[in-house]
Amino acid sequence: MLGAAATWTLPVFLEKTFFALDALAADTATQTVTGKDGTILVVLQLAGGNDGLNTVVPYADDAYHVARPRLRLSADQVLKIDSRIALNPKLAGLKSLYDEGHLAIVQGVGYPNPNRSHFRSTEIWQTASDADRMVSDGWLGRYFDNCCRGADPTVGVAIGEETPQAFAAKNPTGVTFSRLEQFRFQPSERGSGQMSAEEIFFRQLNETAASDETRTLVSNVGGSIGAISGKAKNDLSTLDFLQRTALDAQLSSDKILAIARKYKPTVPYPQGQLAASLNIISRMIAGGLPTRVYYASQGGFDTHAGQINSHERLMGEFNDAVAALVADLKQQGNFERVLLMTFSEFGRRVQENANGGTDHGTAAPMFVIGGAVKAGLFGKYPSLTDLDHGDLKFNTDFRGVYATVLDRWLKAPSQVVLGRKFPTLGIV
Amino acid sequence: MKVLTPLPDSKWNDTTAAHLLNRAGFGGTPIEIGRTRGKGLAAAVQDLVDVKSDAANVLSPAWAHPRNIQAARMEIKAAKDRGENFQTKARQVRMLEGQEIVDLRRWWLDRMLNGPAPLLEKMTLFWHGHFATSIQKVRDAYWMWLQNDTLRRNAFGNFGTLVKKISRDPAMMIYLDLQQSRREHPNENWARELMELFTVGIGNYTEQDIRESARAFTGYRIDMTTQQFRFAPFQQDHGTKTFMGQSGNLNGDDIIDILLRQPACAQFIGRKLWRFFVEDEPSKDIVATIAERIRVHNFEMRPVLREIFSAAEFYSDRVTSSQIKSPIQYIVQTSKLLDAPLPAPIVAQNAMRQMGQIIFAPPNVKGWDGGKEWISTSTLLFRYNFANYLINGDVILPPNAAKRRQGDDVGFGHTAHLAEQVRREPIDVGEFVPPEIRGKPPEVVDLLVKRFFHARPAEKEIETFVKFLESRASDTGDTTLRELVHLMMSTPQFQLV
Repeated sequence: MLGAAATWTLPVFLEKTFFALDALAADTATQTVTGKDGTILVVLQLAGGNDGLNTVVPYADDAYHVARPRLRLSADQVLKIDSRIALNPKLAGLKSLYDEGHLAIVQGVGYPNPNRSHFRSTEIWQTASDADRMVSDGWLGRYFDNCCRGADPTVGVAIGEETPQAFAAKNPTGVTFSRLEQFRFQPSERGSGQMSAEEIFFRQLNETAASDETRTLVSNVGGSIGAISGKAKNDLSTLDFLQRTALDAQLSSDKILAIARKYKPTVPYPQGQLAASLNIISRMIAGGLPTRVYYASQGGFDTHAGQINSHERLMGEFNDAVAALVADLKQQGNFERVLLMTFSEFGRRVQENANGGTDHGTAAPMFVIGGAVKAGLFGKYPSLTDLDHGDLKFNTDFRGVYATVLDRWLKAPSQVVLGRKFPTLGIV
Repeated sequence: MKVLTPLPDSKWNDTTAAHLLNRAGFGGTPIEIGRTRGKGLAAAVQDLVDVKSDAANVLSPAWAHPRNIQAARMEIKAAKDRGENFQTKARQVRMLEGQEIVDLRRWWLDRMLNGPAPLLEKMTLFWHGHFATSIQKVRDAYWMWLQNDTLRRNAFGNFGTLVKKISRDPAMMIYLDLQQSRREHPNENWARELMELFTVGIGNYTEQDIRESARAFTGYRIDMTTQQFRFAPFQQDHGTKTFMGQSGNLNGDDIIDILLRQPACAQFIGRKLWRFFVEDEPSKDIVATIAERIRVHNFEMRPVLREIFSAAEFYSDRVTSSQIKSPIQYIVQTSKLLDAPLPAPIVAQNAMRQMGQIIFAPPNVKGWDGGKEWISTSTLLFRYNFANYLINGDVILPPNAAKRRQGDDVGFGHTAHLAEQVRREPIDVGEFVPPEIRGKPPEVVDLLVKRFFHARPAEKEIETFVKFLESRASDTGDTTLRELVHLMMSTPQFQLV
């Protein structure tokens, strides 16, 4: 005899679970705005240290051509922004966005006492800490902790194999996945639409009460965020952490797959991993997943040797993927609600090296793209002659850009999330 | 505070014996656990730590021998110069390299599961994560094998000796650009990671130390005709270097000797060892004690390991079943518990990638962070679904998979040949569950829980397992039992060891 449970259908089961979650959310002081109708941030990491000088090119500066005899981009190749600054020739999509008034270029972004280790500098960007402080919580994790308590786990969605440290929080929030088709539990028997008995029991095993308790944990967070010392990824015991992740996986997989089935891209996307990630993000936005922050990344920017070809390819991939996303969002009517921000752990050395590449450097530009963005050049292009050990001196702290996004876009108190006040920019 | 007290004999039982096999190896079946308990603690630890010296003399993969790379390159270049289609030749070489690395991964997993010295393999895995080096940059499976062999032969030996060998290891030299370092232009990549990641840790050296030690490591080269380390005296910087307060014509080995004398070095290694084998967040006392033991034993690893695996702290309730299985542990231990062969090489490789630990291709020179980093919503679901494949075999693949495999879906390969490679039989669950108890759900569950979980899951979960069997009252066949095993593995608890 089959147990009664086996006759439950999927929607009934889900309704029960989500009802319980919604009730929880209502009790907690949190941002009522979700990604369903509110603003959305897409963070795009260019991993490996993108060469800022060949991305936003100071083509009129002689010092650039002297320092880059082999790698330099000449005035007749680049896409000119003004009489001094131009975009990499591969960034045609971004150039149009600039001309339409949807691209802000923040120049010379960095932080004091720059670290040239990939890992440490990435950590600094992900945690928004000072260079000499070790902090384990990510800056987006602190946003989730402070402003999204009790929210659906999909308030943060990272596309990739690993959860970015930026999402690390006291009370872990957010889901990570790379391939849609694998982001679901597959029971041993292949069902015919109805949920299999195994799957129903599986659901019971992966929605333990402990997870609900941890969801409402109130942690002590105030104005002293910056003083939190780096230790564990979060305060949960290992088993609690696993149970919490299991519940998040189950609930979010149901939602995400339902949306993915229903919403298909409205524009063609190019090949490549970044384009695939942005394609998923745009479908989730179209389907109204209650996400405030999406995270995607593109790798391969550590161009120590033979940079000329590899960087050109990377710029092309980046440009084409972002252009497809923008076209898709416009088609959906969501471009006004989405803001995309790029970052890389550092720029590269001004002087090219002996292997036709560039070594780890410091300050670099960030791109901010969106329907509501005010186009223009922000910050100041760093001098190519007044250098610090061969590297550019930053003039805009990256946390000022984060603060802008938090205060003006996500409507979250940046001082609480970042630990202190940083001057914001008029990007939005 | 006194730490590292030996575990009293009275505490030696099935639970502590299972814990030893879990952490100092890749777990044990109920029979193996019983055998280990029967030996007694001292003998059990001795069997793991004092493996015969020829345990490291393992049969290498057939292809793992030096080749004259220079000659192969010349051949391709000559073909190019003659205007021949050299790209076919170059592609053949690349294909071969791809097959070799898949085979190398299979070879090592096989050693972990079936080899005579599980702790030796686990310690080799520890060193692989410590001296992380990736095929993606090295691009030659022979060099990756050679490094693995060096790590294994020195796994229980002297740490200083191992660091010196690694500084001359071709794979590492390529990975951190050491073989490109010239007297006029010393490359700082190796020098920086030697300090930041291999010996003393960040904050225990200056940028000046990096620059000076980079000069000391000049002259290290690789002979491309033999694929071995070669020293080039003319490339060596013989000038005076000042490193951590010492001046002189220091060479690379001198730098390593100075680093090992820094108090931070024993602490750094000790903390990492304890994190790998015992717990994610070692206390200050534990780190200080382990560091002291490392110094007492002059950086010999074997006695340090013996003390760790004999210590009451290692067996404390706080420690047992508190560690998240690494993906490698997951693959090897699950195969062992299911008494099933390892997944096919190409499947194992894909699974390692999806779970976030692909051996011979760590994400970067820092290796794997481990602990909670292993788990995200994505990797957890993957583990659950991978368990399904391990238990039920390739029948779980979608019905149209065979057809897809003949198309050019790169996910599962592009030839029918690959379909053959992922083929897997369902496990023989009858081996664990005798027919006479099949009609008794609580007994079946009890038996299987003992096999698959180290710490008994909460009663609520046990009840759910029983209820599942009860819902199938009339059907206690192998299919139902395999579903139950899959349910057991699709739990947070099963991820712990």
